[in-house]
This record gives sequence, C-alpha cells and structure tokens, in this order.
Amino acid sequence: MAKPTFTESIGVVAPTSTELSTGARVIKFVADRGIIAFTVILIVYAAIFVNGFASLPNISDVFYRAAPIGIVALGMTFVVISANYLDLSVVAQVATSAVIFIGVSNQAGLAPAILLALLVAVIYGVVNGVAVGFFHANAVIVTLATTFVGLGVLRWLSGGSIFFGPNGGVIQSLGQAKVGPIPLSAIVLIVMAVILGFVLQKTTFGFSIRSYGSNKAATRLAGVRTGQLVVGAFLITSISAMVAGFVLAAFSNTAVSSMAEGYDFQALAAIIIGGTSVFGGKGSVYRTLLGVVFVSVLTNILVLVGLTFGAQQVAIGVLIVVAVSIDAIARKLVKN
Amino acid sequence: MPDPKSLSTPVIVADHIRKNFGGVSAVDGVSLSVAAGEIHAVVGENGAGKSTLMRILAGVIAADEGEVRVNGVALSGGPRAALAAGVALVHQELSLIPDMSVAENIVLGSTPTSAGFVKRREMLATARSALEEIGVEVDLDEPISRLSVSLRQFVEIARAVARKPKVLILDEPTATLTPAETKDLLDMLERLAKNGMAIIYISHRIPEVFQLCTAVTVLRDGKLIHTVPIPDTSPSAVIEAMVGRELANELAADHAARTVGDVVLSAKGIRAPKVNGVDLEVRAGQIIGLGGLVGAGRTELIRAIIGADPRTAGEVSMTANGRTRTINNYQVAVRSGIGYVPEERRTDGLALSMSVIDNVVLPNRSALATAGVLRNARILDYVGRLADEVGLRPPRIQQDAGQFSGGNQQKVVIAKWLGRRPALIVLDEPTRGVDVGAKAEIHRLVRGLADDGAGVLFVSSDLPELLDLADIIHVVRDGQIVGTLPRAEADERAVMSLASGQKAVND
Amino acid sequence: MSNVRTTERTTAVGRARTVLARRTEGRAVALLVVVAIVAAVFEPVVFSSFPVVLGRLALIGLVALGLTALILLGELDLSVASTLALSGVVMASVPNLGLGIIAALITGIVVGLINAFFVVVVGINSFIATLGMLFALRGAAFVISAEKPVPLENIDAGIAFGSSLLGPLTPRVLLFFVIFAVLQILLSRTRIGREFYAVGGNRQAAIDVGIPVRRRLVLGFVISGVVAATAGIINTLELTAADPTAGSTVLLASFAAAIIGGVVLTGGRGTIVGTLLGALALSILQVVLTLSGVQVDIQDIFIGSILLVAIISDPSSLRTAWVRLRAAITRSRTRDTARGLTGNAADQ
Repeated sequence: MAKPTFTESIGVVAPTSTELSTGARVIKFVADRGIIAFTVILIVYAAIFVNGFASLPNISDVFYRAAPIGIVALGMTFVVISANYLDLSVVAQVATSAVIFIGVSNQAGLAPAILLALLVAVIYGVVNGVAVGFFHANAVIVTLATTFVGLGVLRWLSGGSIFFGPNGGVIQSLGQAKVGPIPLSAIVLIVMAVILGFVLQKTTFGFSIRSYGSNKAATRLAGVRTGQLVVGAFLITSISAMVAGFVLAAFSNTAVSSMAEGYDFQALAAIIIGGTSVFGGKGSVYRTLLGVVFVSVLTNILVLVGLTFGAQQVAIGVLIVVAVSIDAIARKLVKN
Repeated sequence: MPDPKSLSTPVIVADHIRKNFGGVSAVDGVSLSVAAGEIHAVVGENGAGKSTLMRILAGVIAADEGEVRVNGVALSGGPRAALAAGVALVHQELSLIPDMSVAENIVLGSTPTSAGFVKRREMLATARSALEEIGVEVDLDEPISRLSVSLRQFVEIARAVARKPKVLILDEPTATLTPAETKDLLDMLERLAKNGMAIIYISHRIPEVFQLCTAVTVLRDGKLIHTVPIPDTSPSAVIEAMVGRELANELAADHAARTVGDVVLSAKGIRAPKVNGVDLEVRAGQIIGLGGLVGAGRTELIRAIIGADPRTAGEVSMTANGRTRTINNYQVAVRSGIGYVPEERRTDGLALSMSVIDNVVLPNRSALATAGVLRNARILDYVGRLADEVGLRPPRIQQDAGQFSGGNQQKVVIAKWLGRRPALIVLDEPTRGVDVGAKAEIHRLVRGLADDGAGVLFVSSDLPELLDLADIIHVVRDGQIVGTLPRAEADERAVMSLASGQKAVND
Repeated sequence: MSNVRTTERTTAVGRARTVLARRTEGRAVALLVVVAIVAAVFEPVVFSSFPVVLGRLALIGLVALGLTALILLGELDLSVASTLALSGVVMASVPNLGLGIIAALITGIVVGLINAFFVVVVGINSFIATLGMLFALRGAAFVISAEKPVPLENIDAGIAFGSSLLGPLTPRVLLFFVIFAVLQILLSRTRIGREFYAVGGNRQAAIDVGIPVRRRLVLGFVISGVVAATAGIINTLELTAADPTAGSTVLLASFAAAIIGGVVLTGGRGTIVGTLLGALALSILQVVLTLSGVQVDIQDIFIGSILLVAIISDPSSLRTAWVRLRAAITRSRTRDTARGLTGNAADQ
C-alpha cells in the first residue's frame, strides 16, 4: 500500500509551505520566536554594558517589581487568548485584594482576610465573565464598568486611607522573605507560571480556551459550553489579580486603593510583547512570562541609564506597536 | 417600445470568458450576448459558474481571458467603470447599509451633493423615481435594518435601477421572496425590458424562466452548453441540459443492502427562520439526503434540528444506546451522539490556525483526558489512527489545518466526529470544493458510518452525490419537504422538478 | 400598481411611533427621564443651576463627541486621554498663547494621523494601535513636562477663559456646543459624514460602491485626535496649567456617554445626539449626587453600574441572553412533562 502510515509521518513537524521568501521567513520567525532572542540579547547587553545591572540587589529588585504585575499578566493571558482583549478591572481587583489582605487581617486575622479576598475575586470573575460570555458584551467596556464600580466600593469602604501592616508582622516577613538570593514573590511568580501554563497547555479547559480564541463558531459546534469557558477565563484572571494583590501588599507592607494604577495596560503590554496574539488563539503563559521579564529588564535598564518615567512609557508604547506591527506584517506576508 | 434595430444589436457581449480559481476552472470559454429589451436567463446547477460569470460582466472580478463589451466598447477598470458603462449587478448577498435610510442606500456611492452637503430633495427624488420605476412603495426614510428581507431585495434592485443602467443583472433575486412578491418582481422586470433595458436573469427556478425570459443560456461545470430562444425549448429539456451527465458512470458505487434499524432521530413540526414546519425521521444505518436549491432552507433546517440555531417551534428527540433524550440545545445534541459537519468548513468546521491534532481533540477532549488533563500519548495515538482511517494526505497531524487542501480539511472535520462513533452524523454539503479523489473517500467514510449502524442525514446540492449516497431523498423547497423519493424512484430530473417547483406548476 | 409596500402607519400617533422606533437614542432618553425624576424629587435645585450642569456636560461629553465619530466607523481610540494630556503640555510649553493653541491642535492632528497609519496602512487592530499610543503619548507628556504641571505663561487669558461669556455660558460650554453642532451636521447632513455609517455598517459594501474607505478612516482618527486636543486646550486654559496626568477619567466617561447614547461599538449605528443625551444624563446624575452630598466614590459606583447595565442591555446582547433563557425554560418544561408522563405511567 502506498498510503503512508501515521508512524512514518510523526517526525515531520515543520510546515511544508516553503514558498515563503527569505525576508518573509525572517519576519515570521521574529513574529513567532523573536521575544526569546530579544530577551536574551537584552539581558546579555545589560549585563555587559549597563553599570549596576548585574548586581544581586539590582536583580532581586527587578524581581520584586516584576512579580505582582507579572502574576496579573499570567492570569490575564487567558482572557487575551480567548479573544476578549483584556480585563481592565485588575486595577480594582489588585488594590482590593491588597487592602483586604492588610486591612482585614489587621482586624480579624489572616485567614478571614484571605477568604474574603477570594470571595471578592470570584465575584469579579463571575460578573465580568457572565456579561462577556453570556451577554456577548464587549470585554473592554464591561471591565471598564466593573473597574469603576470596584474602585468606587473600595474607596468608599476604605475611605481612601493607607493601611499599614504591623511592623515585624507575618505579612511584612512574607514580603521580605527570600529563598537563598531569590525573593519569595519571584517564587510565587514562577509557581503561578508553572500552574497556569499547565492549565492552559495541558488541561481540557485550557485547550478549549485556546480553541475558542482561534474559532468561536467551530468551538461551539464541537459541543463546548462557551459561556462557562469565558467565565472560567475571567475567574483565572481574578484569582491571579488576588494573588498579585497579596504579593504587592506584602512587598511594601502597605495597601491603598490607588496602588495598582496602570496594571491593566502594563499587563497587556507584557502579554502582547511576549507574542500572544490579541486576536486570540495564539500564545502561551510562558510567552507572557518572557514578556514580563523583557519589559521588567528593559524598564530596569532605562532607570539605570537615567531615563525618566515618561521616557519609559514612550518605550513601552513604541514596543507594543512595533511588536504588533511585526505580527501584522508577518500575517500579510504569509497570506500572500 | 424598443425599435426592432436595437433588439437585433446586442448591448452587452461576453466573448470567450475564461476564469480559473486556484487551478480550478470556474468559467471556461463562455460567450454571451444580450440585446436591449431582452430578458436573458442564465441557468445551471450550483457551481456551474453562473455567479462568477455575472461578477465578470459587472467588473467585480477580472476575467483571465476574453473580454466584455458594452455597445462595442471593451470594459476595463472594475465595478465603477462597469457601472459608468451601464452595467448594474444586483448581488446575491445583500450589500445594503443597515443604519442608513432607504433613500440613502439607493443613491449610495453617487450621493448628490452641493459643497459637500447631501442634497436631500434631489436624493429623495432619485430614490422615489427609482422605486416608482420598479413599482414598489417604501418609506424613503426607513432605515434598512427595519425592513423585511424581501423589501431589502427590492431596495437593492432600486439601487441598480437608479443608475439608469443599460444592462441589469440579477442573481437569484427571488430566492428570498414569497410567491406574491415574486410575481411583482417578474412583472417589474417585464416592464423594465419593455422600456429598453437588457436584463440578465439568473435563477434556479425553471418556471420563472419560462414565464419571464426570451432566451436561456445553460451552463454546466463552467462551460456553455447552449443558448436557445425560450419558444424553442421546454422545461424538461432545460433541466436535462443542466444536469446532462452520463449516469452510467456514476452508478458504479456499491449499493449493498444495509440493515435499517430503529429510529435514531425524530423531529416533529420544526419551525425556524426559513423553515416552515418539517417532520423528519432518521433510522440507524439509514442515509437520508436533503435535496433542493440553494436558499431552500436545508441548512437552516438541520441547524434547527440539532439546536445549532434556535428554533421557534418543534420537538426533536434522539435515541441512542436505549436512551431517548430531548434535544433542546446543541450541547445536548453533541452529548446524545450527534456529530455535525457544517457547510462552512473554514469558518465553522475547523480552527484553521490550529493543528489537525488540536482540531480532532476538540470534541473528544474529555475522552482523551484523565481528570481534565490531556494525555499526549493517548492523543497522538488516537488522532493518528483517525488520520489513517480518513486517509488524511499528507498525514502530518501536527500541521495547521489551514495548510491542507479542501478535501483533506473536510476529512479532518469528519475525523473530529468519527472517533466518537456517533449515533447520528449530520453533514451539510460534505464534498463542496473537494477534489474527485477526496470526494470518493468521503463517500466511503459516510457509507462506512451507516454500515456501522449510525444514522446519516446530509444536505447536498450535488445531484449525482445525492442520488448516489442517499437511501431516501427529501426534497426541500421554501423551508418545507415538498417530496420524498426512495432510491428506486429517484433520478436527477425528479429531484430537480420538485426542487424548482416545476411539478407544482404542471399540477 | 403594486402590492409591495411597507406597513404604512397613517395615524399621527402611529407615525410618531415609527419615527421613535427608528431612533437609536432610546436608552439615553430613558436614563435621562429617570435621572430627571430623581432630580425633581430629591434635588429640584438642579433645574435652576444650568451653569453647573452645562459645565459638567462639557467636561464629560467633549471627548465623547469626537470618539463617537470614530466608533461609527467601527474603530476605537484608547489614546484620547493621553492625547488630551500631551496637547495640553505642548500648549503650555509654547510661550505664546496663540501659537501654543495651534501647536496643541497640530498635536491632535498628528496623533490622529499616526493612529490612522497603523490601522489603515500597517493593518493593526485599532484597539492595540491606540493602546500603544496611550502609553507613548502619556510618556511624551511626562518627558516634555519633566513630570510636573506646566504653568501657562499667560495666566490672565486662562482666568478670562474660565468666566462666563454669554449669560451662564462659559467659553468651554460654547466650544462644546460648537463642536457638537459641527459633528452633528457632518454626520447627518454631509456626504462624507453619511459615508461614515456605510464604512462602519457594511465595510465591504462601502468598498464596492467606491467610497474611499481609507480616507474616511483617516478622517475619523483625526477628528478623535483634534477633539481630544481641544479638550486638552480647554483644560489647560481653565487650570492655567497643563498637568501631564490630566484626563485620567476621560476614557471611561467618554465611552459611557457614547454607549448609553446608543452608539454601537462595532460601528455603523448611533448618533452624536445620542452621545450628547448620554453625557447629559451622566452629568445631571453627577450633579444631583454631588448636591445630595454623595461621595465621589459612590458616584463612581452609580456610573459604573449604569454603564454595565447599558452594555448588557444592548439589543443584540439581550437577544442572545433571551435565546439562552428560553432554551433553559423549554428544557425545564420538557423535563416536567417527561416527569409527568412517567408519573402517569407509574399510576397505571
């Protein structure tokens, strides 16, 4: 029989479309794998040429700053991959979680604080997810609305005041804790990445999310309950934002309602720069982790070479547009 | 009244038009000429190349070879140039702007302005005269989104007429109309022709063609069969020319008798948009074919039955493994053992940017996972086996589904359901855009499923396929089953007559 | 002559009903009525304090007007708040007031052109392109201003700008209505404006009839940029300084006004009047809440909730939800009948 068997073909992974020009292939490679190369180049460059980068305190500082925003980005990857743009309400969620973590544990202890934070996270995830998944409302507007409600409630109940953890308390010691030279928050980031990466890559739930992001109609017609799926994606984002709130609060031993401003778009920036497509379907938690490392290292370098906050923002903005432009151009080239 | 001279000199001439799409010839050396005052029908089966030819005439797509001449001048430069030369096309799919008014839609693209401002009075006058010309009354300020589908169709025609065209091309204009509306439309076209317009009329509905047209051109597989004046032909001769295959070759497939089992699917009183009350049964091991014209409501019917789209009335139950379940939504349908191969393979059937593995895993994810965690070894084995079973070529299951040919993509869609051993498989146009080899393999798979005791329900506009595969053919017209033909009684002419409503006219 | 016609309503009431049913501003009017009733009951003083309400309206609604034009095309602009901040900083950095205003307007145009470049030429989704600009422009505002508010050289002009010009109307309110009128005329009376609806409502059809879709998109982004820049100029004049952090709540307020006003995010549906009504409802609500002594935080809760209800009460969202609900109801009903049948069988 001439028909090739399955076992003969299993080794062939590379696509057969060899008609692409060299230039197109370079651009497609950059669009697919560029972030890995760029991250390595950036780190090597910084280690050699940027004064103060390759010191232990600096690297652990990079981790401290990267951890909370990174954890948010890991969770939000699920929403982005499901082709629902982003969850703006993480700004409110992280702050709420942080304020509960310190404020409530000051009054009633750590366990009730964590339980309450979890309850709040579930409420956020369900409200956002139901509006988007069942009412098919635009995720940007839905989460914009829940941000307003959430921040309003938080500021109202907290009176906008700053909460301090007790000196030498559990929270503070958690925030200062290190395993060897690595801060605990960085370990939380890595553990979250491993767990969420596993969920997205290996479980039927994560698989369905990716599939839904690629083609909503085909996924529905395969018998998947797509409404519940979207709720799940938002729930994961909310739980991650809750964890990020804990980490952020522990790091500074303080909490205030405005502490997570900008986390929405910064997390999205890391996700996009990591190479996860905003059109859904394509991407991974590991890419987001790389994106987080890239943005954190870049920001750190910019600080070290003396650039201001404004210049850093410009750099991130340009980076987003460039990263997505490369993706868009690669798509066009592949299509032709 | 057109003077006799203009009747003899053609307004529009298509000269040996040839058009290929990705190596497949859609229109193959077709010539056509239509004179002022003539209503010229173009007929053919689905995929005969009618719509492609019309799009070339209207400048929407360019021909690979040959040219179109209007009053002796060769046409070039796209749809705007064609419109300027006097050729207006009424599209099959509507191209109106939902939130603009009737008047605005009629003048869209040539809105009368002064200093950038819309000259409302002139716009209304143009729109009103266009609507008067076609004899339709619509509130000119009504937004399109508030009109019925058939009124939208008339507005679309008014838009074409407002351009004062010399040649008006209509592609299946009656597909969405009721009989009364159809009569209005035909009267209107007769009036326009009397005033000297050349009309090219594409329709599947043979009685309309004979009622309205002066000549008919028959296309088959992209080739011109013939052009004859209507008085010199008959409906059955036209159908014969449209179908015209040598049937002997097609009957080679084995028709071994299959044991037909109990009722698997029972649908009663199904109603939904474009579906007007259908009862249907499918038994185990039975292949039921749904024949009819494009737009007859077959896709809507099966989607309503399996719950992929909401139905307005009707009950559906599935019996599999001794359990009867009411099908009220699509998830229940899938869990009750229904597999669905949709018509739009590339948008509904597959995630093109995902691998074959991922596409096949999707409906089988629970079976391929332990406690929600997908097992790679099990998946590779499972998908590999299915790829072998459906004959995927090349069998590179790690490759993106989008990189396969149409036929192999369709095999992947079938493979998605095959592993579940479905109790009922529903296929919509299973071999559209598929090459001959893959088509035979898909037929083999469908028969294999029935041999294993699955019920099969499929829609096909490909007559030989319908006759070849189906044990029983239901012919659907206007959202209803208008005739049921067991294999012994079914032939192409019988199906086409029922589908085009010719039977009803003769009765 | 023909029996094809619409169901024509001939009575005056029926006629009015038809006209009403065509409008897209229903939700905004409903909210406005509710807010007006609440105001009449609790804080009737609102109705005599026009300057306050109008000032608030101009504050909330201005950027929303420009954004509406762009949303009608089926595109988004997340960079409006950053454009507002940047153009203000640019303006304050130029010593001459007139030149500063011109520079700020040019900033708005350039931002619109850059956004349009990425969307129209490169082919990026407008959501992401303008997200990048959100960062970049805000960053640029920080860089130019050295991260501090930039005081206006000509403070007198700013103070003059803040005072009333005509009765209760401040220049800000007047400018708001001028821009409203210009955009209303553009979108309802001119060919270019009407073609915005075609581009957003059925882009392929717009291309087919020869509408220059790309040019319309560029114009839409430029309108959005210029209006945001104008808001930046007004803010700077009123505060006599340009704050690089200005406009942080502008994005939400603008989207809220447009969506409550019936503008559909996928394009082609909605009106400038709707946005005005949406903004008006929100501003009266804010003034009422402020006068009643409700904290700003609780006001945010109100406005966020209203936006949430507005977006999920979109007709298509309601239809989706209704279909699912009905499916759920019929499911439970058939289950009941099934139970009933087995019950009967058991009885026998």
